[in-house]
Amino acid sequence: MIRYLARRAGHALVMLFGVSILLFLLFQAAPGDFLSEMKVNSQISPETIAKLRVQYGLDQPLPVRYWQWVKSSAKGEFGYSFAYNTPASTLLWPRARNTLLLSIPALLISWLIAVPLGVLAAGWKGRWADRLFSGGTSALLALPDVLIAMLALLLALKTGIFPVGGMTSVDAQDQGTWAWLRDLGWHMVLPVAALVIGSLTIILRHVRASVREVMEASYMRAAEGHGLPRLKLLFGYALPAAANPLISLFGLSVAMLLSVSLLIEVVMSWPGMGPLLLEAILARDLFVVIGAVMLSTVFLIAGNLLGDVLLYAYDPRIRRQA
Amino acid sequence: MTSADLGFSKPEPLLRVSALSVDYDAAGGEVVHALRNLDLEIADGESVGVLGESGSGKSSLALALMRLLPQTARVISGSVDYRGRRVSDFSPAQLRGMRGGEVALISQEPALALNPVLPLGRQIADVLLAHRKLNRQEVSARCIEMLRQVGFTHPERIMRAYPHELSGGQRQRVAIAQALICRPKLLIADEPLSSLDAATQAEILELLQRLKRDLGLAMLFITHNAGALAALADNIVVMREGEAFARGTISTLRASPDEYVQGILFPEKSLSNAAHKVGAIDSAPLLEVRGLSKRFVQNRMLSRKEFVVQSLEDIHLVLRPGSTVAVLGRSGSGKSTLARCLAGFETPDAGEVLLEGKPAARNAKNKAGAQRQGPHSRAVFARKWAEVQMIFQDAATSLNPRFTARQIVAEPLEIAQWKSEADRTARAMKLMAEVGLDPDWASRLAGEFSGGQRQRLALARALAAEPRLLIMDEALSGLDMPLQAQMVRLLMELQARHGLTYLYISHDLNFISLFAQEVVVMDAGRIVERTTPAKLAQSSHPATRELLEAGERLHAPGVEAAV
Repeated sequence: MIRYLARRAGHALVMLFGVSILLFLLFQAAPGDFLSEMKVNSQISPETIAKLRVQYGLDQPLPVRYWQWVKSSAKGEFGYSFAYNTPASTLLWPRARNTLLLSIPALLISWLIAVPLGVLAAGWKGRWADRLFSGGTSALLALPDVLIAMLALLLALKTGIFPVGGMTSVDAQDQGTWAWLRDLGWHMVLPVAALVIGSLTIILRHVRASVREVMEASYMRAAEGHGLPRLKLLFGYALPAAANPLISLFGLSVAMLLSVSLLIEVVMSWPGMGPLLLEAILARDLFVVIGAVMLSTVFLIAGNLLGDVLLYAYDPRIRRQA
Repeated sequence: MTSADLGFSKPEPLLRVSALSVDYDAAGGEVVHALRNLDLEIADGESVGVLGESGSGKSSLALALMRLLPQTARVISGSVDYRGRRVSDFSPAQLRGMRGGEVALISQEPALALNPVLPLGRQIADVLLAHRKLNRQEVSARCIEMLRQVGFTHPERIMRAYPHELSGGQRQRVAIAQALICRPKLLIADEPLSSLDAATQAEILELLQRLKRDLGLAMLFITHNAGALAALADNIVVMREGEAFARGTISTLRASPDEYVQGILFPEKSLSNAAHKVGAIDSAPLLEVRGLSKRFVQNRMLSRKEFVVQSLEDIHLVLRPGSTVAVLGRSGSGKSTLARCLAGFETPDAGEVLLEGKPAARNAKNKAGAQRQGPHSRAVFARKWAEVQMIFQDAATSLNPRFTARQIVAEPLEIAQWKSEADRTARAMKLMAEVGLDPDWASRLAGEFSGGQRQRLALARALAAEPRLLIMDEALSGLDMPLQAQMVRLLMELQARHGLTYLYISHDLNFISLFAQEVVVMDAGRIVERTTPAKLAQSSHPATRELLEAGERLHAPGVEAAV
């Protein structure tokens, strides 16, 4: 197991290097840089721009810039934000934490709803509930995530029960830790709900399809022939046998949630990675973009690794091969 | 009111099936009859055997008794009564109580009857807990006791094991333990032996005999293997196309004059009348193999050494028109490689294959030459080579399940752009009839045919190209014995009618003596012995002796009649 994990960690490291090199090359290929817009401004002299260019190190050849970035990353700074004049890490960490604050609850809630509901739906084959389920999930699946977020905002605006966007109220900090936490939780409800609705349907359909496929297996008929109760058959026999692809999907759903999250954060003005990445791209704030993409890659790899570890812990057949 | 009140002397049977008919809905609105007006009674402690070839509706019977038929099946008429109560009227709870508690089922494939991700102990315990209220110690004690009863010396270890850690025979024992843990009154065993090897078959059969005696179990034993029934069943029902065709004890059935009953009881005997030898020994050879060699080499990383995986060494073989040559050998002896070289799937490293005295383009020497000669000669080669057709071991995987029977049989004709669409369809129908398939089934999907029917379909497809040589690579090995006998009979008829030449490749000796004029034994890529079927038994070569002994081992007690 430890050898397996070490091997996977090695792969992850190689992948991160690959992604970083690719990002640098892509930025090199893209026209313009952080200073391009200043050129249009007649109040800034070309000399000043040239000086800034040297100061930011943008005059250096690509390999040198890459090496500088690797050195800075090793120090934990991940380069320098041109726009904010601080190490990129000081921008990235709090934003990443805020994004995880949305994604992790959404991930857990999605799975806690999808697994029992999906398994039950697999048992409804051919009944009206099954048709209702298929229709409902199809409709939700067709709904774009942006629309879900905007509907959530509309709900907040019309009812006034929930805050319209943002992460905290203005005066939240002054009222003590408990009040602050309650305020934060209240602000989380709508973005998390939008995320859950956006990701739930895919998971739900996968759970139902996997379980239903297993229900056709001859050992399920054998178990039914032994007179096991229906819920025991569904949850005790079909679900464990169907779990392998679902555990892999759990890892993948981390990545899925993160990408949906970026969008929803922008729409609902949640101060996560999404708005930061958008701003940085528009401003061509090189190292912030690279840092944000690298962090997403890390989350993605971590999600897959988590899936693999769970699978290893779960399936006796995989344990034997490894 | 019970039967005793009415003064009947005969007690209510444990299970009574009256006039049961079951249909399946196949694709395209077709209806397949699985069971037709079947009557059956099983008394307490009695064992009834149901004997029939594949497709006779045996398995549908087992499922119908437990109300486990798939959704595509419909019970048309008739009823199943358990202890005088109608099973179709049972509430879900009553049904659950009967399943596993009163009537238990063990099925054909023990590997597939157990959940792969749950420990075996839990799977047995769950059955017990579904029917009895017991605490943990009692459950575990009962499971261990039951596992010991089915012959495990270390039941605790089996309890913790997963299905993949056990052999096929062990898994079948666990499945039996699982079925019997609640001490049911009736055990339905659906082909419990057919996926096991001969030695394990005998073991499981003995176990079932012992359990039946010790537990006073009534049994419905469904099989195609008459030998197993001789050892186990009090009464036997012979099924044919969903109907009860004949009934009686094993001895009355053995004495029956009926040809079908005799055929199913003694699959090999029924063939001897049909046996007739064809093939003139002195005619010019159809196919000649001279010094054929083929090596598969595996290169390993970081090593200069080459590992020869499998090889053919200097094979000489002559096939005369209208004859049958059997190639025997255990797995890995190079039989299939030879077949693939002859059919043109592999290019030999050395030697040549002559079809009617002309070299085949796949010969090693003119491999480059064939390419230089251009597309014209290649087309000629392809037409010539259509005269050699191959049938594979597993028809299920060599037929596209999404093709209809007509599409499959007409495929070689379409490739050859033979006549018009209508002509091709007509010819496909004719070919289906020729191999004993109903042409009305032409629009059915390949996946809807049974194993034996699929092999017939593969045969029809091979015949479509009007071949002169048919290579059969273990083509019958996947079929049960009565079906093998039918196929051999069919092949012999076709041979007589069309003057076909057969190369019959097999790892067992079944039907060889009826079928082949010449036997070639292969071992480690070489032909080690050439003989005739009649002299085969006297052979002294170790490879041949091994095959003969393996054949004898299959005649294990209780299963002899099947082989």
